[in-house]
Amino acid sequence: MECYSEQTCALAVDGELAPDEAQRLRDHLLTCRRCRELVDALRAENRLLSESLQELPEEAPSPAGFSHLRRSWVWGDLAVLAVVLALGSITSIWFDGLSIPAALEWFNPFSASGRANLLFTLFDQFASGGTAMLTDYAAVVGFVSLLLLLGGGALLLARGRRRQPGLRLLIVLLAFSLPSFGLERRDAESVTVAANETVDDTLVAAGNTVRIEGVVNGDLIAFARTVEVLGTVKGDLVTLSKRTVVSGTVEGRIYTFSESLDLDGLLAHNLYGVAQSLRVNDRGHVGEGVVAAAGDVTLEGDVKRSVNILASGNTDVSGTIGRDLTISGVSLTLTNTARVGGNLSARLRQMNEAHIADGATIAGKRDIQVHVRESQFVRPRFYFHQAVWFAAALLVGWLGLVLFPAFFRATTQEVGSGWLSLGLGVAVLTGAPVAMIVAAITLVGFPISLMLLALYLTAIYLAKIWVGAFLGQILLKPSGSTKGDWFLGLLLGLLILTVVRFIPYLGGLVHFGVVCLGLGAFAVHLYRASRPAITA
Amino acid sequence: MDAKSNMANEPQPREGESRKMEGLGLESVIQRAQIHDAQALGEIYRRYVRRVFGLCRYMLNSRESAEDATSEVFLKLQRSIESYDGSIPFPRWLLRVAGNQCIDALRRRQRGQKVFVEVEDGAVVVEAASSEPSPLGAVISTQEKAQVRDTIARLPENYRVPLVLRYYGELSYDEIAEELGLERNNVAALIFRAKQELRRRLAPRSK
Repeated sequence: MECYSEQTCALAVDGELAPDEAQRLRDHLLTCRRCRELVDALRAENRLLSESLQELPEEAPSPAGFSHLRRSWVWGDLAVLAVVLALGSITSIWFDGLSIPAALEWFNPFSASGRANLLFTLFDQFASGGTAMLTDYAAVVGFVSLLLLLGGGALLLARGRRRQPGLRLLIVLLAFSLPSFGLERRDAESVTVAANETVDDTLVAAGNTVRIEGVVNGDLIAFARTVEVLGTVKGDLVTLSKRTVVSGTVEGRIYTFSESLDLDGLLAHNLYGVAQSLRVNDRGHVGEGVVAAAGDVTLEGDVKRSVNILASGNTDVSGTIGRDLTISGVSLTLTNTARVGGNLSARLRQMNEAHIADGATIAGKRDIQVHVRESQFVRPRFYFHQAVWFAAALLVGWLGLVLFPAFFRATTQEVGSGWLSLGLGVAVLTGAPVAMIVAAITLVGFPISLMLLALYLTAIYLAKIWVGAFLGQILLKPSGSTKGDWFLGLLLGLLILTVVRFIPYLGGLVHFGVVCLGLGAFAVHLYRASRPAITA
Repeated sequence: MDAKSNMANEPQPREGESRKMEGLGLESVIQRAQIHDAQALGEIYRRYVRRVFGLCRYMLNSRESAEDATSEVFLKLQRSIESYDGSIPFPRWLLRVAGNQCIDALRRRQRGQKVFVEVEDGAVVVEAASSEPSPLGAVISTQEKAQVRDTIARLPENYRVPLVLRYYGELSYDEIAEELGLERNNVAALIFRAKQELRRRLAPRSK
């Protein structure tokens, strides 16, 4: 009898041969060794295929892995967000378009919206007031940076998009500077791109109102009280504004730092935002995810991927979220029309602040936890932490005194310069990040900016030590000036500062003042030390 | 900074119920899911998300798209589970749904172009004594399994998708034919050729 073809044998092994033919083949196999071997080999092959495929590649996530991985992404994204915002502040120096808000009644640092307002006001001030010298400086540095960047940036981008936050930060920085080669600047009371107008470059716009009715082919970077996108932005939309409204299309991402953001139209990629009120209306569509820190959040539209929200107020969802919804906030409401394609994890103040309608659809798991607020002072761990921090600060102070006695003593004395230190401290605190970013956008300057950052953070940490030691000295009025006296002063001063820090509201202000004073003293001392010594 | 330490480790709501769900047989979980019991749907998600993701991952060859497709499958499941009648095992039914989702995604990706082309000589018998390498050996280490997997991932879509549906999704030729919109003969030929191509690509490596 003639042998069967391999394909027929394969069909038989897959169980796909017609019953009568399968029977004939089985009969044949009894007598034919060659076909029997073939069938055995095919069977083994199938087994191998199945087994190989069943073992998923390492990267395949378990359900838990989904959220774990995503969380690590969030950190990266948040880091990117932080840099973007910082970058926004530097770019804002370039423009003088914003006016200082006249009404001061909302200038109340004790409410959440007041704090946000304070921040916006600071940006306003920064952008408009007395920065002429900085503007010139930034313009020169920026121009040189651009030239350097063109080569280096292209090289880096060509190496492929690695998904490391550090590299992504750099790429974001580059992405910001590269298109600005073909950058269009508009700086007026009201900047409008009319419906029939197309801007081919990246548009950097500053004014009271920025209104896009036409098409921007590059990115739109806007600083204004009101930013409205009614037309199309083909690149990313970066806004620093009081109010941002997108009812047109953004084909890139949105990075926003606004008091309110309303997305009414189409966003093709991610939305990163810090906003007092963030709203995706029922006509709004986000092609990827949302990462936001906001007061109140309303999601009525459609978000294709995950939503990660840190909210200080309420979160209302009545639209569709393609994947996970992760929120930390006061209250969460999911209406009947809400759909979550992945897991829901929420951290709320109280369990009864979670309102999930029966009709709401959640494909994955629900994990709602209560975030207890007042427990801080009740927990022994809190005191333990404080003790550890306190001891660490003392130790650092002592080490500083032993290793750099002259420097530490002198800086402590400079705290006594009072307003000079305080003013300079505020300037350093806000100006140093700007300087770092200016340095960072040149490839050569990147390591320098990292070093500056390390120095900056160290100085912020040391600020309380210098101020503490100064405070202690004022109170103790030691007769001598031994290391022991200095250290005793530090002990007392730090203790006071540590306790004061936990006074509601006032503590925060005091802490801020301490950081500024310390930083200022550090800067004053550096300045004095850098001047040629006058010999007597 | 202390936010984390402030998070109370309070029991999750209805935790007991979700535990109970874990102990339930598949049949009762499905029945409850069919009447839109959120816990039951969550349990199905927990049990099968990995398997569905695996299929999507193989079929779409992209982690991002696979995650999208997986989410879509489970979202749609809320409605489509009503139509599950128990005539085939649930995992297989679910993988068929997932397969459909992926094929839609592939079609969307290649807008208009035909993803799965019929082989001209669908039913033509390939001779057993052809010069193609013989079927892959059975004794293969874990590392080599990874090689097999990688090689499958690099096969053209036309070959990869039916192969994955057959040997990962364990669908029958008829089911695959229905999903791909092809004749059964074509599916048989595609799978056969996929295997031959796989052997050819793995041949220099196998001992």
